[in-house]
Amino acid sequence: MRIALFGNPNTGKSTIFNLLTGLRQKIGNFPGVTVDKKSGVIQIDGVEHELIDIPGVYSIYPSNKEEKVVYELLVSSPPHQRPDLGIVVADASNLARSLFFFSQLIDCGLPLVLVINMNDIAEKKGISIDINALQQAFSNTPIVFMNARVGLGKDRLLTAVKRQIERREPEHLKVSNSLKKLGDLSGQEEEAAQRHAYIGKILQDALHVPKTSIRKNSIDRWLTHPIAGYVIFATILFIIFQFVFSFAAYPMDAIETGFGWLTKGIKNVMTDGPLSALLCDGIIPGISGVLVFIPQIGILFFFIALLEDSGYLARAVFLMDRLVRPFGLNGRSVVPLLSSMACAIPGVMATRGIPNYKERLITIFVAPLMSCSARIPVFTLLIGLVIPKMKLFGFIHLQGLVLLGLYVLGIVSALFIAWIMHLILKQEKRSYYLMEIPEFKRPLWRNILLTVFEKIKVFTKEAGGIILAISIVLWALASYGPSDQRSEAIASLKKTTAYKTTSSAEREGLKNAVLLENSYIGIVGKGIEPLIKPIGYDWKIGIALITSFAAREVFVGSLSTIYASGDNDNEFKLLNKLKNQKNPDGSFVFSLRTGISLMVFYVYAMQCLSTLAVVKRETKSWKWPMLQLFAFGAMAYLGGWICFHVF
Amino acid sequence: MLLNELKVGDQAKIIRIADDVFRTKLLEMGIMPGTLVTLMLRAPFNGPLAFSYENTLLSIRNEDAHNILVEKKMTHQ
Repeated sequence: MRIALFGNPNTGKSTIFNLLTGLRQKIGNFPGVTVDKKSGVIQIDGVEHELIDIPGVYSIYPSNKEEKVVYELLVSSPPHQRPDLGIVVADASNLARSLFFFSQLIDCGLPLVLVINMNDIAEKKGISIDINALQQAFSNTPIVFMNARVGLGKDRLLTAVKRQIERREPEHLKVSNSLKKLGDLSGQEEEAAQRHAYIGKILQDALHVPKTSIRKNSIDRWLTHPIAGYVIFATILFIIFQFVFSFAAYPMDAIETGFGWLTKGIKNVMTDGPLSALLCDGIIPGISGVLVFIPQIGILFFFIALLEDSGYLARAVFLMDRLVRPFGLNGRSVVPLLSSMACAIPGVMATRGIPNYKERLITIFVAPLMSCSARIPVFTLLIGLVIPKMKLFGFIHLQGLVLLGLYVLGIVSALFIAWIMHLILKQEKRSYYLMEIPEFKRPLWRNILLTVFEKIKVFTKEAGGIILAISIVLWALASYGPSDQRSEAIASLKKTTAYKTTSSAEREGLKNAVLLENSYIGIVGKGIEPLIKPIGYDWKIGIALITSFAAREVFVGSLSTIYASGDNDNEFKLLNKLKNQKNPDGSFVFSLRTGISLMVFYVYAMQCLSTLAVVKRETKSWKWPMLQLFAFGAMAYLGGWICFHVF
Repeated sequence: MLLNELKVGDQAKIIRIADDVFRTKLLEMGIMPGTLVTLMLRAPFNGPLAFSYENTLLSIRNEDAHNILVEKKMTHQ
């Protein structure tokens, strides 16, 4: 049996969904739209049923693309695709509005169960509901009370669902003649008025609300205050970032060390050969490269879910909307964009809450321009290389100022591109910002942890495969090459005096450098030299650029290999080695202008396969990630060129 | 007067809503001529505003509030 779960936003629908299905949830697709279909399994008397979580709406007539799902599922789709039964969640403190949607669902001919979700707020306000009077008005629909946040009434609900499964009797209401077509505004308006009148009459007997309930909003006045509001928001973000950067590092290190041990173990057991190399240098680092994102995704979503579930997020959206709207963004874009300063992957995944498709697309598109944590090692290395350690006016560190400048450049560019897209992209319909600001409530750990779990699962399942595949391809290209060319190069290396006179560890480094130079990636890196020469890079930097497609920070490791600095972990040694590198004409490779050109290149270039995979997953098309790859690539090149010629 | 001309704390009755799509959306949410609303919050820099009706605090953009004609009932003391 297919059971659909309906309800207005903020009625506790997801809490009920989580309560009923727990960990037995999966994510699919509603046909034809970019909306995720969350479904789960519920068991009633040993029989399993599918429970589908339908997006929260106020009416079956959609006001945006995502909301179309409801109308299509119930009205346009062929009968065998429609659900067999519906559970409608009504909010006790907003009963009239909940019953409006309920009455529309009745007219779809679906057998229903009505849940009246009593929450503490409704109780505090002294709202009382006469269930018998309601039951008389809707005689074919079992009606149950629940308090989902404390887990009360689950069994009552399941019993009611079971009863309705056995009887499957739809309600007969027919307030209006029939449901209207999409776009028939005056018809919908007339219908809405009739429904309100009908429900109003029923609630006259069934609902009692004490007169005095005027809502206090002293906290909200502070949270949306022109100064205090922004200070509070900035403080909260600061705390979140502290947690992301200080806590995510431990599990990330643990994952990398763990996989390092695994590789060593396998190398000890297996004999050297292509299979062992594929496993130890291709597949295992690939898997590790996917899993290493999980701590950041987990921690960020823990906080985002906490902000959402407690009700603060709505205040932040309310506060920020005006500031970002000139750029075609929504108040809801702010948290995803700021999250992207830790990592664009959770940032892109967090755009789910943006109701307007165009605004969501713009947010996803520009998110990778926000400077993420993987750029930090690249920037640190380059700044150490070319920016002198000096102070301006005696107290401003020039190196720090440059780093700040790179972050600002990323943010400004993100807003600029957003603004351009805002001008280019067509809006299908005028967007309305209609957002309920829920009352503050104590967050529910089950909801938060299930969100974290779901995001991690979606990332590993749907983006992980692509990331793994591409990183294996990159590894293969970096470790294989035309064999005669490679053996020739090694042979001529062995004849050089530099090789003969050095230690065995240094020899290993020199050999690795020659091997990388003569790998397929090395050949490509040399091949693109004419292309990158105008922006100040030689083929060695070219190789590092290509390998860092696996992840930006790989740039540092690749430079270390290619310049045979031997000890990969010693940054000081690497820095010195790089500083002294000279071009054939005697000038330094890492001149100020090459360094700045590279920094700007890394601000823009879409060098993160994982982000591309996640953007594909969220937009359900390769069009947008490809556009990001080429557009940001062009900006990186142009920016690099300008810097190389200005400095 | 228009909804966005109210001061925080003012209560008003909705008289008319211009813009067909917006009116239908609000009607589905239970906001129609005759509904009593109280202006509760204003975001800085002419940002969105939030009004309460029944038991809900709803925020809309300032320019959309231009479409809502209201009659002031009670001034905030």
